[in-house]
Amino acid sequence: MARERYIKVLLFACASLSFLAILLIFLFIFRESLPAITKGGFPNLFLSATWDPDKGRYGMLAFLNGTILTTLGGLVLGAPLGIGTAIFLDQVAPRRMGNIIRRGVELLAGIPSVVIGWFGLTILVPFIARVTNSAGYGIGAASVVLAVMVLPTITTLSAETLRSLPPELKEASVSMGATRWQTIRGVLLPAGREGILVAVILGMGRAIGETMAVQMVVGNSRQLTFSLTRGTGTLTSRIVTDMGEATGVFRSALFAQALVLLILAMLLIISIRLITRQKER
Amino acid sequence: MDSRRADRIATTVFWAVGLITLGILLFIILEIFGRGLITALSPSFFAGKPEAREAGGGIWPMIASSVYLAVLTMLISLPIAVGAAIYLAEFSREGRLNRFIRFCLDSLSTLPSIVFGIFGMTIFVIKFRWSYCLLAGACTLALLTLPILLRSTEESLRQVPLTYREASMSLGASRWTTVRKVVMPTAMPGIISGTILPVGRIMGEAAAIIYTTGLFVRTIPKSPFDPAAPLAGYIWYAQTEAMVPDYRRIVNGGAAMLLILVFLINFAARRLAKYYSKRKSLGG
Repeated sequence: MARERYIKVLLFACASLSFLAILLIFLFIFRESLPAITKGGFPNLFLSATWDPDKGRYGMLAFLNGTILTTLGGLVLGAPLGIGTAIFLDQVAPRRMGNIIRRGVELLAGIPSVVIGWFGLTILVPFIARVTNSAGYGIGAASVVLAVMVLPTITTLSAETLRSLPPELKEASVSMGATRWQTIRGVLLPAGREGILVAVILGMGRAIGETMAVQMVVGNSRQLTFSLTRGTGTLTSRIVTDMGEATGVFRSALFAQALVLLILAMLLIISIRLITRQKER
Repeated sequence: MDSRRADRIATTVFWAVGLITLGILLFIILEIFGRGLITALSPSFFAGKPEAREAGGGIWPMIASSVYLAVLTMLISLPIAVGAAIYLAEFSREGRLNRFIRFCLDSLSTLPSIVFGIFGMTIFVIKFRWSYCLLAGACTLALLTLPILLRSTEESLRQVPLTYREASMSLGASRWTTVRKVVMPTAMPGIISGTILPVGRIMGEAAAIIYTTGLFVRTIPKSPFDPAAPLAGYIWYAQTEAMVPDYRRIVNGGAAMLLILVFLINFAARRLAKYYSKRKSLGG
């Protein structure tokens, strides 16, 4: 029996590592970003758009703006496509077609982000450059790349939600004489609303955190811009680009950007918790 | 507009959406293979040594680095994930503590991989003075894969019927003996096939390793403390730093090779899962 207890403690230690990991990550990122918060001037760090390490100016607003706009762009393009594909799989597609698309979405989910980035850089950016007569890099290219990356997440999770809805719902609607579209719009989408919302939020998490693919197509300049075709940066792309040579407060300012990413990720998870808890009630 | 017509229009739109999704995938894959497959499959490329400044380099040490990294990560991550999954599925009750652990796991799985990367850099590369090496990358990726592995392992454990456990315990076996002798052997196939998909993820991961394993090596790493250059990171490096004149060829070929590796892994995972589920349904 003593052995049993010893083993239980050991197993619990494994389980508590998840807590320990998240705590350590938070503490270290926070500690490393402290110099930037205290020396760089707290509000300026977040509210200034001037990022000039040579002059000791570390405002991350341009990159925060880049992260928000590319994420929104990716969701605006990717979410309708993903939810639409999920509905197609669940309601419309013939069996064989459905299986092909399901396999395809699985493959798409497995494509590494550098490969998607390669695709963006070799095909998408030159295409945008030709059409819009610009350099091609920027929020537009990053949004398209992110749309491709959130597509499998949103499709898979939405399809799972739709599949788990009780079949009586659909049967009742159809037996009342509703068409397929009326059933989808009036019954299935409202019933699956929470699950689809969670799918979109998780897609958002993927878009906010995506690094390599975005870094390759966003242009990596420091300017604050709302233009789709002018180079800018995101939090993740800036960290990757600069971390190699950064020291001192410069390095710390990059950790402050990671801290923002970390907090955003936690907020997303908390909002998912709130949504699912509300549904349970 | 009458409802029949609206329904017909909606059906057309959904078909279009489904086909667009499929089209995006096909377009990307065809472009990648179209531009890189010939390079990727030429022996001098995939079995050759990379060059630092001249044209004509290969990617063999990068492929080896990716494989070593995946194996090492699994050696670290799997025992912890299995232990934690056993705790959650067999030794604990659903309560406040379990919910909290699950919250931590969910948070861990949404953290951007670059955050793991610079965390690993601060701890393993700098604080532990390991410098850029395979082990630093593997420890970082172990944290990243922990939630995925844990979830698949826990699912496999929960699929073992409760009656198995009851039968074992009614014979006087303790909980741990039951887990070791009855639950684990039954769940093992599921656990094993659950490890393959994370391997694909590790192979494709670049943001978490470029500041932990290193970006360029000319020889295959010989120990966990040697620097390494996994393929995904090297593709990014060759693309953004462009130190060699034929970097286009290397990046195109590398992307195609990486895609082949990841697809092979996903294919293996699928086959294995199917094989085991067939055996299970035959009562084996």
